[in-house]
Amino acid sequence: MLAMVVKPVTDNSEIKVNKESSKKKKNQDKNTLSVINRDYSIMTDTTVRSDLQDRNLRNKILNRSRNSGGSSSSNSWSSYLVIHPEEVPAIWYNENWEKIERNHITDSVQLNSASITYCGPKRGFNWYFKIKHGILKNIKNKVYPAIVTGIQETDGGFFENLGTLLAEKAREQQQIEGPLPDNKDQAEGKQDDADDDDEEGSIEEPTEALLESDSDRDENEHAHNLVVESVGWNIEELYAALVYLAQHPVGHDVSNECGQEVLLNHLQQAFKIDNETHEQVLEETRNIEAPQMHLNVEVIEAKELVSKDANGKSDPFCALYLESAPTRRYNTAVKPGTLCPIWEEHFELPLEDTENDVLCLEVWDFDAAETVREKMSKVKDVKGGRGLMKLVREIAVTATTGSHDNEFIGRSRIPLKDIPVTGHTMWYPLEKKNKSKRRGVVRLRLAFSAEHNAQVAAQEHRHLLRILLLYELETSKVEKYCWCGRWSGPAEAIILQHSAQRGLLARNVTLAQWVEYSRVHQEHPLNFTVFNKLAVELLRPLENGLFSNDEIKIFWDATKKLLHSCLNSIRKIRRLAVGDKNAMVQLAAILGTLSTIITLNVPEDIDLFPEKMYGWLPEADGPRTDILQAIEQTVIQGGVEWFDHILKNNTPESDSDEDVLKYHIKMIQLIRADLQRAIEFHDKLFIKKINFPYARTLYIMYEKRICDICMIIIEDICARLKRIEVENNDDTELALGTTLFELYLTLQRYAILGQVLCAEGLEDMKIQSYYDWFRGGVAHWLDIAIYKALKRIDRAVEFDTLQPIDSTVQYSSSAVDTLTIFYQIKVFWTQLAWPDVEGSYTFIAKIIDDICKCSVAYADKMATKAETTTELEQIAEHQSSVYERKFEVSTAWCYAINNIDYIRTSIAPLANDLGLQSIIDALSENKTQQEADRCRATLQLIIDNATETVRNKIIELLEVVASKMTPAINRYLMEGAELIDTTSNAMDRLLHYLDSNLTTLHDNLNEDNFERVLLVIWEILSETLYELVNDNLEKRRPPSFYSNLHRTLHTLIRFFNLGADETANVQVLEKIEHLLKLHGLETAELIHRYSVERLQEQKNLDESMYGQLTVRAQFVDNSLNIQVLNARNLRPMDTNGDFIGKLSTLERKLHSKSKERLREGKTRKCDPYVKIKILPDEKFAQVKIPKTHVQKETLFPLFDEKFNIPLTAEQRGTEDAIVVFEVKDKDFLRTRFMAEAFLSFAEIPETTADHEIETLQQIHLKLSRPINKDSDVIRALEHRKGDNQAMDFVSKLNNKINSR
Amino acid sequence: MAANNSVQTTTPRGSSLPNRNSQRSTLLKVVILGDGGVGKSCLMNRFVSNHFDEHSFHTIGVEFLNKDIEINGEAYTLQIWDTAGQERFKTLRTPFYRGSDICLLTYAVDDRASFRNLALWRSEFLYYADVEEGSTFPFIVVGNKVDVPESEKQVPTEEARAWCAENGDPPLVETSAKDATNVEAAFGAAVAAWARLEAKLDRPLIEDTVDLSKQQSPHRSSCCMPGTESNKVI
Repeated sequence: MLAMVVKPVTDNSEIKVNKESSKKKKNQDKNTLSVINRDYSIMTDTTVRSDLQDRNLRNKILNRSRNSGGSSSSNSWSSYLVIHPEEVPAIWYNENWEKIERNHITDSVQLNSASITYCGPKRGFNWYFKIKHGILKNIKNKVYPAIVTGIQETDGGFFENLGTLLAEKAREQQQIEGPLPDNKDQAEGKQDDADDDDEEGSIEEPTEALLESDSDRDENEHAHNLVVESVGWNIEELYAALVYLAQHPVGHDVSNECGQEVLLNHLQQAFKIDNETHEQVLEETRNIEAPQMHLNVEVIEAKELVSKDANGKSDPFCALYLESAPTRRYNTAVKPGTLCPIWEEHFELPLEDTENDVLCLEVWDFDAAETVREKMSKVKDVKGGRGLMKLVREIAVTATTGSHDNEFIGRSRIPLKDIPVTGHTMWYPLEKKNKSKRRGVVRLRLAFSAEHNAQVAAQEHRHLLRILLLYELETSKVEKYCWCGRWSGPAEAIILQHSAQRGLLARNVTLAQWVEYSRVHQEHPLNFTVFNKLAVELLRPLENGLFSNDEIKIFWDATKKLLHSCLNSIRKIRRLAVGDKNAMVQLAAILGTLSTIITLNVPEDIDLFPEKMYGWLPEADGPRTDILQAIEQTVIQGGVEWFDHILKNNTPESDSDEDVLKYHIKMIQLIRADLQRAIEFHDKLFIKKINFPYARTLYIMYEKRICDICMIIIEDICARLKRIEVENNDDTELALGTTLFELYLTLQRYAILGQVLCAEGLEDMKIQSYYDWFRGGVAHWLDIAIYKALKRIDRAVEFDTLQPIDSTVQYSSSAVDTLTIFYQIKVFWTQLAWPDVEGSYTFIAKIIDDICKCSVAYADKMATKAETTTELEQIAEHQSSVYERKFEVSTAWCYAINNIDYIRTSIAPLANDLGLQSIIDALSENKTQQEADRCRATLQLIIDNATETVRNKIIELLEVVASKMTPAINRYLMEGAELIDTTSNAMDRLLHYLDSNLTTLHDNLNEDNFERVLLVIWEILSETLYELVNDNLEKRRPPSFYSNLHRTLHTLIRFFNLGADETANVQVLEKIEHLLKLHGLETAELIHRYSVERLQEQKNLDESMYGQLTVRAQFVDNSLNIQVLNARNLRPMDTNGDFIGKLSTLERKLHSKSKERLREGKTRKCDPYVKIKILPDEKFAQVKIPKTHVQKETLFPLFDEKFNIPLTAEQRGTEDAIVVFEVKDKDFLRTRFMAEAFLSFAEIPETTADHEIETLQQIHLKLSRPINKDSDVIRALEHRKGDNQAMDFVSKLNNKINSR
Repeated sequence: MAANNSVQTTTPRGSSLPNRNSQRSTLLKVVILGDGGVGKSCLMNRFVSNHFDEHSFHTIGVEFLNKDIEINGEAYTLQIWDTAGQERFKTLRTPFYRGSDICLLTYAVDDRASFRNLALWRSEFLYYADVEEGSTFPFIVVGNKVDVPESEKQVPTEEARAWCAENGDPPLVETSAKDATNVEAAFGAAVAAWARLEAKLDRPLIEDTVDLSKQQSPHRSSCCMPGTESNKVI
């Protein structure tokens, strides 16, 4: 990452960080470093508000500068800001940034080598805030990897190396490697731009592009010593011939420009002839007659001729002669009746004096010797008056002479020396003496020729070309590959003269050039454009079979040589300077030449690629003639050679795995660079010119070799990676991991390139399974990663001061550091882009599981940290009195909890960021939906487990907090409850305690966690209360103790704002409420509560064990009328009936059945009567208690007695008042309690006085006995040992229960 | 310290309420190993969801399920990692071995080869889990598919027992995931074996707390527990 360190400068403009002091400061500065760090390391925090952050940062910095209090403070690391250059707001570029040398900062800040470090303009701190502000605006929601804290250093930036830094490296490399080639379609469209400027032209300047280096010489066919070879031929004869030619030039052009002397000199030097010989030859040839030359004339056509006949037409024919021999005329055929005749007739005129003679061409109108009569017959054809006049004159002439008389139309005089030596085709105007009027034009093709043996002439021409070319190259010092067919003036003149005078045809000349240029090319390479042009020219004659067999043979011999040069150039294509226009032109020419040659039929008897020359081509069975195949093999060979070259010139620095891997990376990069060149510069040309997939061929060739060199070494290294020594803190192995994955990414890019280049055949490429080689490595990396992560978490927690990293968030540095680890793991994984779905799935499962482990470990560490931090803080606060010491919730606790929660909530999104969904999708595509679902379930389960486990941690921690508050709460509660005086402030103190702690929690915990902790505290509070109550039940607390607590409970409920919908621990709450209520009651109330409960129990009875009582009751005004009607199914009281009560309900039922059977035999009866009481006792103490008469020996007594009980209005209105009917057995000695029934006032109807009680509905009351002594009410009463009323009641109750 | 990653509270899934009264249960990581096709996934599915699928697929890499059980009055949460037995998954499954508390070595009683491979599985586990060879680790040997007819049974119980005796004497349970024979028992035996070992390892800790070297149970992957170090420092 490019980074910029921004640092505010004060007076001390010289920036130097004293290493020692900065080390000392490291710990203190950690926090602020984290502040900076956070901005760049946080994953994404949409809540970041830059202005707030700014303010916070300002405070930090101001504090810091205050604390350190000196000017040196500005040098502390706290005030550095690491900025990615892109993030620096544009306006700040204009400021005077100062560069900081890297070594000043490296001991605290780990920066990439490409870092640019700046510090800001000297103007206090304001600039700093502004920048900070600007930067924050830019980076909102962006992800920035942390670089700055010391945490990363502790493990050598393990995660960063494999995460963002590796990504950075990969990106850089990718840039070096260049972009992937375009898709085919796009490429096609783009092709046309750079084309077509590849014709020669600007290629004169020397190029350094040596297509073939000197080292190729030995591979060349033995360089022919051309001069020696030339000497074999009779050079003097050729020389004489040429001197002669020069002395007797024909035609126009060069001879005029150069002059004879120049030509002769040129020849002499080219042939390296000494003066004496030259003079001799000159003398000899001067005396020889001028060459027997011919002028070849083709009379093609004429137009715009003047009409000579009466019909407005002419009957033209041409006559040709030389002025030196006017009698020797050549006539064309007559074309009758036309003014634009087409002749197309050839004539060969022997020339005597080519310098002075003039060719004359006359056009005549033919007039046959017609008879007058014949002439007259034409009258009808006559047009107009003038025509008639002409005809008349013609007739007259014919008539007078009686002979023919051709009429002259016009003449053209063409001096021979005006005719170019190479000949030409041209329109010549016709003239007639004394006539200025246009007479018409004639088109002629004129060319010189000499009568010579064509073969000899061609051979002569070849020798001439060779000698002249060698001389030309020698004298003009043309660089290699530069000569593109342009001759110097004299040479050109000589060549033209020779070809003209020897009558060579164009194709002969071209062939001669092809052959000789090819030959010279061996020695001194020429510009390939020459050959390209010649090839095109030769194509037609070759295709049309215009060459003789001998000519074809020499063509192919020459071609063979040229091919070698072409192929060699392709082979050495890497020596071309990339992007050099000339080089590209050359390549285009080579390919153009090849494309032409490819179209030709190679004679079968020619071995185009002899092994002697092409040692590097694979062996073939017979003569090789497939040029395209040879090209392919050449391209491959070129690549192979390049590969070997790379191999040879690069060696690992050492045998260590690290260096070996680096070496391989470099290899692939070099290869990749070569391919990139091929793609960018050469591929299009190859495809366009010869339709050859150049880049693809290379790619495939390299692919095999890369696989061969990489696969084994990678698999070997990955296999050896297995064990890591825990104690060994040496980072070499970890760095190796980085290099390994660099290689992975390099190979990955190579494989991707293949997918672009090669549409088919991908399956066969080993490179496409490159990742397989790394499997072990990735597994290993994950193994180290969790180990490293746990270690780093340790450090992060250790360094954490449990202060929020800024005012907008409620978590501290270690949470950020931990998330950074996860984030880096994610980046690493994303980069791997593991292509195999099954592998991806499994690795992700592992990663998530590891993240879970880390989170749990983090939670554990955080909990411990929070505890120690708080303890330390509170010890520091010196709470001297043990009594006064109470747990106060610290912000540290809150941040610890928030930290854990922050991690927890990040797990699921992080897991999703790993690409879960896409992998599941891919699985369902590749496999079955069912399998995909199972994998999804597994991953989801792992994630859920992780979040769940961490949440439990949080709750655990919250419980710890709450339970730490318990003693204090307990104490306050006790104090509050013990005081009879309700105005005590104990409750206030409790509330104050709760309030201050809850405020801390509220302010510092996030909302969710606050809700959670509230619930936990409430639970603990209620449980404490419950325990308090239960503990004190035995201690004979006065009811006021409980009622105080009861009030407190209600206060607390209000305090916690627990509404009806609150899901708090309702059961416990109810229990407490109930207990407190009971224990807070006065004894009488408590007793009455017992009755009320009994009434309730009675109503809930399904079936009475003790029979049923039927009564009627009514209120008339304030008096209560009761009619006791009867009782049924009373339980007989026998002397040993005690055991019944001890049996279970079921047994009792069974028992009662057997009892009844028993009764049939021996009826045991009792003597029941009913006693009526009204409860509560103290309210109705004055009321006379009525009872019925005793009914003898019956279990179904019929009483039918009415009672009137007058009540006071107050008594009548008593709430919960209950009428009790006690059924008793009147015995001889004593009365015994049998059973009782309860009827509440509320159930008794209020009627008017005239309403007879007999008309009312009977009320059936189920009879019951007190059996349960376990009720809270009784227990509460039993606890009141000193209370007589309570004790009386309890003993009475016991009597009742035991009344058997 | 030894058990600091294995004891966690777990609360029933889905309850968003904190439940203070939730049982503390011990978290155990269980790995099921064995040849492809011996019925590892079936065992797990039978155990966790009491479900058997006749036509189950090859496991891809690993699968994971949770199960709460109670053994001898102790609550345990088993995190069961089911692995793919095929060779090609080797690199994918081995990372999961580290940190395991229990390892189930499975074979099919009707497949002799799978029985013979137990030794390989055992050593693969020991290697990748970073457990010292020769140290006691709670392995348990499970012979699955006892539902096959007697005639098809290729591995006699006695032979399996003999193998166990020679290899650290892990408990042997013959199961059938198909008809649910002994599946619970197998996992139960595994946990019991773990508990026995744990008790053994804890005892010297109580008796001799001075010896720090014994604080770490030797079978635990010490690598993943850097915390021990730093805690000592604190």
